[in-house]
Amino acid sequence: MLSRQTLFWLSRVYDLPGSDARFLRAVRDNCAYHIRHCPEYRLICQAEGFSPGCLNTIDDLEKIPLLPTLFFKRHHAASMPGWRIPMKVTSSGTSGSFSRVGFDWGCIFAEIPMVLRLGFYHRLVSPKPTRYVILGYKPGRQDRMGVARTMFGLTHFAPPVGRFYALEWKNGGYVPNLDGAVKTLARWAQGSLPVRIVAFPSYLWFGMERLEELGLSVRLPKGSKILLAGGWKQHYAQEVDKNTLYALARRVLGVEEENIHEFFGAVEHPIFFNTCKKHHFHVPAYARVIIRDVRTLKPLPMGEVGLVNLITPLINATPVTSVMTDDLGYLTPGEDCGCGLKSPYLTILGRAGLNDITTCAAGAAELLGKGEMP
Amino acid sequence: MIFAGGKILPDSELNPVLGYLEEEIAQTLSGPPLETDTVLDALEALGAELDSGALDGLIAQYAPPGAREELDRVRPQISRAALEERLALELGGLAGPRPFGRSQVRPLGVLLHIAPGNMAGLPAFTAVEGLLTGNINLVKLPHGDKGLTLAVFQKLTELEPRLAPYLYAFDLSSKYAGTIKALAALADGIVTWGGDGAISAMRKLAPPGCKLIEWGHRLSFAYLSGWEGMDLSPLAEHIVRTGGLLCSSCQVIYLDTSHLSVAERFCKQFLPILEKAAASHYKTPGQAAQGALYARETALEQIVDRASFDDLNFPGQLCSLTLRRDMNLELSHLHGNVLVKRLPRQELVSVLRRQRGRLQTAGLICPDLKRETLTALLAQAGVNRITAPGHMSHSFPCEAHDGEYPLRRYVRVVDMENPQGRPETAPEQENF
Repeated sequence: MLSRQTLFWLSRVYDLPGSDARFLRAVRDNCAYHIRHCPEYRLICQAEGFSPGCLNTIDDLEKIPLLPTLFFKRHHAASMPGWRIPMKVTSSGTSGSFSRVGFDWGCIFAEIPMVLRLGFYHRLVSPKPTRYVILGYKPGRQDRMGVARTMFGLTHFAPPVGRFYALEWKNGGYVPNLDGAVKTLARWAQGSLPVRIVAFPSYLWFGMERLEELGLSVRLPKGSKILLAGGWKQHYAQEVDKNTLYALARRVLGVEEENIHEFFGAVEHPIFFNTCKKHHFHVPAYARVIIRDVRTLKPLPMGEVGLVNLITPLINATPVTSVMTDDLGYLTPGEDCGCGLKSPYLTILGRAGLNDITTCAAGAAELLGKGEMP
Repeated sequence: MIFAGGKILPDSELNPVLGYLEEEIAQTLSGPPLETDTVLDALEALGAELDSGALDGLIAQYAPPGAREELDRVRPQISRAALEERLALELGGLAGPRPFGRSQVRPLGVLLHIAPGNMAGLPAFTAVEGLLTGNINLVKLPHGDKGLTLAVFQKLTELEPRLAPYLYAFDLSSKYAGTIKALAALADGIVTWGGDGAISAMRKLAPPGCKLIEWGHRLSFAYLSGWEGMDLSPLAEHIVRTGGLLCSSCQVIYLDTSHLSVAERFCKQFLPILEKAAASHYKTPGQAAQGALYARETALEQIVDRASFDDLNFPGQLCSLTLRRDMNLELSHLHGNVLVKRLPRQELVSVLRRQRGRLQTAGLICPDLKRETLTALLAQAGVNRITAPGHMSHSFPCEAHDGEYPLRRYVRVVDMENPQGRPETAPEQENF
């Protein structure tokens, strides 16, 4: 199973053609592993006539059985017994149903170099002690929500010397404390240590609006950054133009556009997607993206809008090799971006149709919308 | 959010509202009763605003897509004439002179509604039924009610301020069991809409002596006998439009045959009709994508969960048919993915009896000659509504609800003995 480590320890993080062979080998091994160990996956592969031997070129990736995220909400399929899975993470459970994805040791071992290499590449890694204001969930024993874990993870790129959470678990529910976050920011802005705000975009937006309402504007110390995770999700109605968001960040926090980083990922596809300096999500060497027709689920050519299918051989514990998200998006050739990266970039347009699937950011936005702010 | 005293209040007002609710209820109940005409006038005024388009903005803002069409369909039933007819049908004859004196119809008092989330407008509708019978209504809103009910309540109390003490709404998650219990303690009746989980939970929370009115989940199906040459598209459109999510949605298409080959032939014939309905229903790429994801999920569930069964799968674009060999009435894969089973009429009663208490609508397709016999057979099996397949989820004026007249359950009959021991000659002027 070293094929996976060979891929994830790769140093050229956006070299897709250069990593195709390693990717294909790792995916083949990954599929073979799931077929051997996960009865559900084995049944699906048998029914659809798929075997790892079908994967001969990178174009064959489309043949891997597609599992929608809904499948992981309804089936807790696993390729390992529970005792071999050191970490289990769930997607947001605001609607009562959530995916449960297990992370094996090999996966964790492969994730570390990926996150570090991408972290260095995008200048997230810094030796300077840093304070963190997290406009999101505080991780705790009460839940295993993926986004809380991601946000917590994001507070390790620079040594943390303080963390403030705007959503705290109290008496069986999350309680937002935006005003507390605003006060903490104002206090830390006086210091010399850089501050990093880790946030759901909608929370950052509401938080900055709150600052403006209060007539406050702060200048965060040099080296401060804003890290956005969790997406806008079902909050598209209030999605603001990105440039407006950057302008507001400059105005009320003193953080320049190049210091605003966005991340994208899913519990079922924990690849560390980062924005480039032009704010585009280029596909890293550890993943491949196929856009599929909304009616037939057949692959679409570059530039056409469809459902986003994410592929990675990262996880052995859960058969998430080829996951069909319910996001609609499209790919653009990397050359069109202008940042210098050649890997195509993914634009997410929104979430498919019905309201069956509520996500974490939507849950947070709901909390805010309910006027539960103290 | 909370609705109390004719105003929308933030959640932070929950505890203060709970604090004075009991006293306020007692005060309302000791005042003059709510006249039916007051409620009818207010609903008529609301209907007029609806017809004039004044509420379109509100609907667009708060209700899910398709709600406007749904509303247009049910609009005739909230007309004054229809409501008056309902009151007469459901409560008529309950009051009047009796050998001992007379009987009067009175509201139960306070109704706690655990409102459903599967259809926009139902939380408001259940409260309206409570108002028509003169009750004070405490509505626990479903998760996902984006404000439509609150907006309707506000509009209604603006049009008729006298309704304000009779309408309360609470946007509470079911996790707030303590608060729900406190509301239940104030209620004379609890109207629970929802699945087995919600109903069992409320039974535990209800104080003894509190009347339980349960509108639980029901199962519906289509029954086809001699369907050759019949138009099946209304059935297909019903399946796609309701997505299987309503109690009246078709979960299983039963065929009056014992031959598998006949059922297979039906699936091959019906699939293109279902596909056509799906293609025209899923208009936006987002809707189509959702349809495709559900169809894909159905295919996977068939592979994984039904591996040891010998189901025949008929996957289509954005929909599917699954032909199963057993006869049980069960939930389908929903969202345009429906089950097909054989059920010869000789076995109809014995098979459907297994789901007694859960049966609701049967959409019947058969030649006219057979209709009467089959209708009687379905009724005998415990089905409460028998309609044309395209009308399974339509509401009809003056129809019963799961075999009962709801308004009758929201009132009580008070018997009053005449001290002289004679029946009163003229009936008392009733509120209803």
